[in-house]
Amino acid sequence: MSITDSADIGTHDQAAPVTPDIRPGRSRLARSPSRFRLAPYFFIAAAALYLVLFAGIPVLKGVDLSFTNTQLLRPTGGHYIGLANYGRLVSSDAFLHSVETTIIYSFCTVMGSLLLGTASAVVLNRWFVGRTVARAILVMPWAVPTVAVALVFRWIFNDSTGVANGTLAALGIAQVGWLTDPNFGMISVLLATIWKVTPFVMLVVLAALQSVPDELYEATRVDGADMYSTFKSIVLPYIAPTLRIVALLMTIWSFRRFEIIWLLTGGGPVDATNTIVINVYREAFVHSQLGLAAAAGVLGLLLSLIVTVAYFYVEMRSERKNGAFS
Amino acid sequence: MIGRRRLGLGLRMVLALLLVILAGFPLYWMLNTSMTPSTQLYGGKQSFIPDFTRIGNAFGVLVTGVPFLRWMGNSAIVAIGTTALSLLLATLAAYALSRYRFVGKGPLALGFFATQMLPEALLVVPLYSLFTTLGLLNHLYGLVLVDTAFAMPVAMFVLKAAMDGINYEIEESARVDGCGPLSILQIMVVPLIAPSIAAAAVITFFDGWNEYLFATTFVSDRQSWVASTGLASFIGEFITPLDTVFSGAVVFTIPAVVFFLIMQRRIVSGLTAGSVKG
Repeated sequence: MSITDSADIGTHDQAAPVTPDIRPGRSRLARSPSRFRLAPYFFIAAAALYLVLFAGIPVLKGVDLSFTNTQLLRPTGGHYIGLANYGRLVSSDAFLHSVETTIIYSFCTVMGSLLLGTASAVVLNRWFVGRTVARAILVMPWAVPTVAVALVFRWIFNDSTGVANGTLAALGIAQVGWLTDPNFGMISVLLATIWKVTPFVMLVVLAALQSVPDELYEATRVDGADMYSTFKSIVLPYIAPTLRIVALLMTIWSFRRFEIIWLLTGGGPVDATNTIVINVYREAFVHSQLGLAAAAGVLGLLLSLIVTVAYFYVEMRSERKNGAFS
Repeated sequence: MIGRRRLGLGLRMVLALLLVILAGFPLYWMLNTSMTPSTQLYGGKQSFIPDFTRIGNAFGVLVTGVPFLRWMGNSAIVAIGTTALSLLLATLAAYALSRYRFVGKGPLALGFFATQMLPEALLVVPLYSLFTTLGLLNHLYGLVLVDTAFAMPVAMFVLKAAMDGINYEIEESARVDGCGPLSILQIMVVPLIAPSIAAAAVITFFDGWNEYLFATTFVSDRQSWVASTGLASFIGEFITPLDTVFSGAVVFTIPAVVFFLIMQRRIVSGLTAGSVKG
């Protein structure tokens, strides 16, 4: 064999008393549960250790920090104060407001991007003149770096010189403080966020739509069903699992989304867009309260965990009902 | 029936046009702003059609004025490093999860997924102290290390989905010939999933290219800034002319958009399979 070097490495990791599963009819390496194999651990070890070092340990340190009164300027001078940070947060109107803000922000982002993304996908699913160009343009916002997105939306929403107010003025409508009026801050942030994340939903839903068999469409067409009822009764059930996983991803990504909000409003105007993660960053780097910031971050993480566990619970139950596990 | 179909086609084209305007306008406005003299911009007299003769002028400033090209270079270093490290770790991990059953497989896969829940804002503080200890502050490779923690799991799911999709028989016959798993991965699996590797490479590259929070917190030396930090530093600063800032934004955006357009089909199939199965 010409690949002796790598073959040597390959056999080396099999030093454990295992014999390769090469009997005919066996399609997977480790069908037999009684055999302990070292190879998979060898392959996954580097990545797993990496995540432990750069994600797992920092998270645990964050949790640890949340029980202390550590300050940014004296990172080693903190003392354990039990659950005091959590108590302070739960009883603080500002924090509860940031939880509410996070939920509103996430809900609107998820609903907005799912509706707009699904609509875009349905539009793009069948041929029309210029479809390729339209798809290329519709996918672009996803690729634009967040900092550039923030710059251009700040400029569009500029009070005196922005094109948004310029257009409103030209139409004779009252101008709006898009990023300065507490009533509009959230709307502006939502518009920018939905603009940026919708292409992801669109691409994934488009891929799901293209797996809907043509015969299904044909059948309803013969029945004379209109477009809306075709979508509701045929297409929607077919793409529902995809929509659910996309909704989960969009939700947990919204809970932790920092950059676009921070760069657009910094959590303002007057806390209007002060989500939990913005709150975490402000407590840590503006107010220098590392312990309190960590506690807020841990509560935010718990929110994501609850949503994820709920999602998998519902998925498992519906799969069991459909007999997938029987 | 044909009438209804024509109606559907017309309706879809109108909707498509509307969506294209919504998606395209901010991008167009970025380009437009970069080509409008800043005196016009500050006077609130931005025309809807830019003066295209100013292209050279607008982008020439980047070379002479701000150290923008240097920041772009730094971004490229971070992005390339993140891509290389992520792909190496992700390919090996994906092979384990795709080809073997082993104790702890479920929890490990869940662990990879869980990284998608972690708020960077929470991690930035513990990572800051870790970086201080390890002497990684102000080093670009420090950014590579943190960006990889977020980009690699996504690449792993994309690659695992691709590996799940290829036939196992060939590998089995190679095993009969005494070929070890690592060389099977190297000479048989990797070439077959090359398109997905390319897609994962684009995704991880732009994770590194676009990342802002860690880059801003961990690198304070202006010469070592990446482009996202550099661009963001213009926010709320009124010395640099606005058209120059937007020229920077355009130049920073173009590589991302072009690569995504080239790779979009592969990215989609990879992401779909990865997210639905993973």
